[in-house]
This record gives sequence, C-alpha cells and structure tokens, in this order.
Amino acid sequence: MAEYVYDQQKMSNGLEAIIASNSSNTAREWLQQRLQKAASIPQFNQTFTAIPRFTGKNIISVTSEQAAVLQQDVPGFFVHGWTLDRLVRVWWLLQLNISTKTIYIDTVEQLFNAAEMNELAALYSALPLLAFPEAWKLRTAEGIRSNIGIVQEAIMLHNPYPAKYLDEPAWNQLVMKAIFTDKPLHRISGLDERRNIALAAILTDFAHERWAAGRKVDPMQWRLLTPFINNENLPDITRVWHSADQTEKAAAALVCAGSDYLPAQQLLASNLTLATEIQDGALTWDVIATKLSQ
Amino acid sequence: MCGIHELTEKDLQPLSYTPAYLDKIKGMRFFDPHVHMTSRTTDDYQAMADAGIVALIEPAFWLGQPRTGVDTFRDYFNSLLGWERFRASQFGIKHYCTIGLNSKEANNEKLAEAVMEILPQFIYKEGVVGVGEIGFDDQTALEEKYYRAQLELAKEAGLPVQIHTPHRDKKKGTQRSMDIAIEHGLPPHMVIVDHNNEETVKEVLDRGFWAAFTIYPFTKMGNERMVAVVKQYGSERIMVNSAADWGISDPLAVPKTAALMHESGIDLNDIHSVTYMNAVKAFAQSGQINESDFELAGNIDQSERFNGSTVLRGGQQPRINKNTTIIR
Repeated sequence: MAEYVYDQQKMSNGLEAIIASNSSNTAREWLQQRLQKAASIPQFNQTFTAIPRFTGKNIISVTSEQAAVLQQDVPGFFVHGWTLDRLVRVWWLLQLNISTKTIYIDTVEQLFNAAEMNELAALYSALPLLAFPEAWKLRTAEGIRSNIGIVQEAIMLHNPYPAKYLDEPAWNQLVMKAIFTDKPLHRISGLDERRNIALAAILTDFAHERWAAGRKVDPMQWRLLTPFINNENLPDITRVWHSADQTEKAAAALVCAGSDYLPAQQLLASNLTLATEIQDGALTWDVIATKLSQ
Repeated sequence: MCGIHELTEKDLQPLSYTPAYLDKIKGMRFFDPHVHMTSRTTDDYQAMADAGIVALIEPAFWLGQPRTGVDTFRDYFNSLLGWERFRASQFGIKHYCTIGLNSKEANNEKLAEAVMEILPQFIYKEGVVGVGEIGFDDQTALEEKYYRAQLELAKEAGLPVQIHTPHRDKKKGTQRSMDIAIEHGLPPHMVIVDHNNEETVKEVLDRGFWAAFTIYPFTKMGNERMVAVVKQYGSERIMVNSAADWGISDPLAVPKTAALMHESGIDLNDIHSVTYMNAVKAFAQSGQINESDFELAGNIDQSERFNGSTVLRGGQQPRINKNTTIIR
C-alpha cells in the first residue's frame, strides 16, 4: 500500500502559501509553535481541534496560481469556498508522522471518532491527501450515510477521492444520496467517468417512483444514463423529452446526443433547434446546471 | 378536579394556533441555557424558534437509564456536537453544549474513569461553552471525586462550570458544590449554579455565583414563583432555563416565563437580562459565544436559496402547513 500517492511536500507548501495569504500573524505564530509539538499525538489532536479558535473561520480567497499548484499535484483537489479553519486543519493533517502506518491510521481514525461537524467536514475534505489512501474506503462509505449537510458535501462535491477509490456499490450509494439530498450533481468529481449500468437501472426505478408520487425528477440525473440508453429505458427518456419543462426536455436532448442508440439519435433529430444548439455547444450539461441553480 | 374531562371543541383545535402569550413577547429574543434537545422533537424546535428562542445550551446529562460503556458516552457527546447542532441550525437556532460526566453516572467508578479519559478530547471543541452539568446527586464520595476532577479540567481549559444541584438535601448540596469550587480555585463568576429555588438563591447570589433557575413543572420552579424571585432579588446574575428533557417538561418555559414577567409588570430590561443576556455573559466567558452568530443562524428562510444553493440539505424537508389534513 502506498504512503502518499502525490508529492506531499509540494502540497503542504501549496497549502501553506494559501494559509499565509489568508491568516493573521498571531495565527501563523501559533501554528509554528504547535508544529514543534506535533510529534506528540495528544498535542497533535488538541491542535486539530483548537484550530478555529486561533485562525477564525473566514472564507479563504485563492488565486488561480495557488489553485493551479494544488491541481497539478492532486488533480481535482479543490479548496475554493472553504473556511480558513478547514484549510488549516487539512494542512495540519499533512504534518502527521506517517513512519508507522498503524499509528498513523489509528490517529486519523480517532480524530474521525471524536469529530464534530466542522472537523468531520475537514477530515473528509482531506481524503484525497491522506496517506495510505486504500485505508479510508470504509470510512468514506460510512460518511456518505451522514445526515449532516456540510459533511455530505465535503465527501460528495469537488472531492476526487470517492471516484478514485470507492467500489461500485458505494459509489452508486453516494450518487443516490446526493440526489436524495438535492446536491448539485455536476459538482461530483468523476460523475461521468463512473457511470455504470447498475446505477442507470437504479435511477430509472427511482424516476418511476417519483413520477408515481407526482414528484419531479432532477433533470441532471439523466446524464448518468447516456451510455446506457436501450429499448427498455428509451420510453423514460422519451417521456422526459415530451415534458413541458424546457430544462427537462433539454436534458433528454443531451442524453440522446451522447447516445449511440439509433432510436435515441432519431428522437433528437426530430427537433432541429435542440440538435443544433447541442452541436454548436450552446446547450451543455453545464448550461443545465446553471439553470437548475437559479 | 381530576381525571379525564370531556373533550370540547377547544381541545380539538390544531396545536399550531398562536397562543396569546406569544403576543406579549413579540420581537423579544431568548437564550435557553439548559435544555436537552436530544430528547425533543423537531416540532419543539419549530415552536421554540417561533417563540423567539435564538440560541440554547444543551448540557451533557443522563439519558434516563445508565450507560454501559464509554463508547455510548462518546457517541452521545458527538451527537451533541454534531447531529443535534445541525438539527437546531435548520430551525435558525444556534446550539451550544456543555460537556461532562453527570453525577448519577459518576457512581460507576470503572465507567467514570473511562469517561474522564475521553473528556479532554471534547471540552476543547468548538461551541463547547462549559464543563457541565456536573455536581451532586446522592452526594456520595464518588460523585465528589469526579466533581473535583472535572473542576480541575474546567480550570485548565478556562471554561465556565455548569453545576447541577441535587433534588434531595438541596440546600446542603448547593453549599458543598460552591465550597468545593472555591477550594479548587474557580472564581464564582465562572460557576453557574443551576436548579435554584427560594431556599438557595440568596446564598448563591451573596457569594457571587450565577444563579440559574429551571422552570420545570412539579419538581423544580414554577414560573409564578420565578416572577416573585425576580421581584425580590432583581435581575443581576439570575437566569432562567427550561431543562426540558425526556420528562414532563416544557421547552417553551423561557418565553412563557418572560411573558408572565411582562404581565406582572417586571421591567423589560430585567426580563431581557434573566431570559437572554445573563446567560450570554456567563457562558461567553468560554470564548465560544458570539452574539452575531445568532443572527447568522436566524437568517434561514427555508424557501429561499443562498448563492444558488438551497439550505435544505441533508434530507431536511421544508416546514409544512400543519393546518391541512392533506399530506404531500
């Protein structure tokens, strides 16, 4: 099992640069002092917990250069919109000694076990950076079951860890939970790459349930069906295509445009306007995402 | 009169009508510094928010039956810091807590030792505004041992202490609690003595401690008596709470008491002190309370979106109209 699967020093420095441009002198001095004691596990834990008291919780600002450094090192790793305490906590986790794997894993697990909401959000945000990445799969699956919005979002949105490491049932669970809790699906890392036939079947079942109850279906969820359109689920896409809701119709058009299935392509060809918009790049999933968030 | 009386039309009215007392306290804001929300429903949160409660403190306490292992304590502490805080936030209420080993369970020495070991992991957490509720129940030697140990923890962490005073032999228990706190070097302004009554209030105030009163039917204070106490002792260092829990109790005790005080001619400033400001002052000594956070928590309009995102995360459903028989 690998230790760090990226350049840890580069990431630590990259985060430090963002911390430096977003924090006060007092906060930075305090962190320096705490670094001297980081080797002691109780002191390490206490620092992790106490961070917001010394850093505050302002939303950080990140320059595009700073963000690019992080992206180069760990593709998909994203800190925009974070509070300073979350960023510092994630950086602090990189200061934990990894020389003894069992101690490292046990320490991080204990932090999870005693964590409050904001700490959990920081810990789950740090998943793509933790050493021994295979070790956190169960923990991540557990986190998906959380009922707390910010914790769910820390795992689901702009986090490259789940797509890379979760097995298929856990991944599908993540996507379904995101749909259940109204998360913006387009912000899930690896959404298209991890589309699968089992998830497509779960989603069409789910849509039938929603329709039976007279409820709406998130147009974005049809995106996940794109490679799996067949004679069984074509009636569902056709139903969405005939929806009075223009966003739903546009979603159906995008699914058809991405499908190799001939009847789906014929459906799209029946509306030249939509077909042209897609061809010209005027209608994309991002356009739908923007409409949905308005 | 006793027993079941005949139901009238009035009894069958939906519970969501606006009770008259709410008019008397319209626009006022309240802080309930002692309420066990873990035992309450979301309906209570809605009613509390509607009555003007903007923040509360949930002290760690007994769940009604003893816990059998340290893990259930850990989970309980985690729920006070996690799920319960989130649930409150969905109703615009800022949730704080105090963390401690309660007096009843201090009598299980093996378990108590294990709990003492994990306490330092929790008392430094964000939003932990004190060590509590701790103190005496039966006034046993073990209760005293863990009360003292937790006073030391609080002192080291610079946190206020929230003291539960016993139901039986209350006066002596209250005096002992204060003596021991002083012995451990905790200044009276860092100690909130809870569940006072007419018999204990004078000494608590004279010695410079905070005197909290629990409006809890049958066993603790009634709010008519509370009105009399404020009339006699004024509003300095006095605070009112509901301690609502799994028993017959009322999470609206603070706003109802404020309404009664208003009706009884107590000055609005005094009402504000005993139902809001004094609790903020006492527990803000933890460095963990910022009144502007109440505003932020209160800014939730569940029908609106913020930055393109709805606040209805985590499976939370919007508030529903309870006056209709149709459920969608």
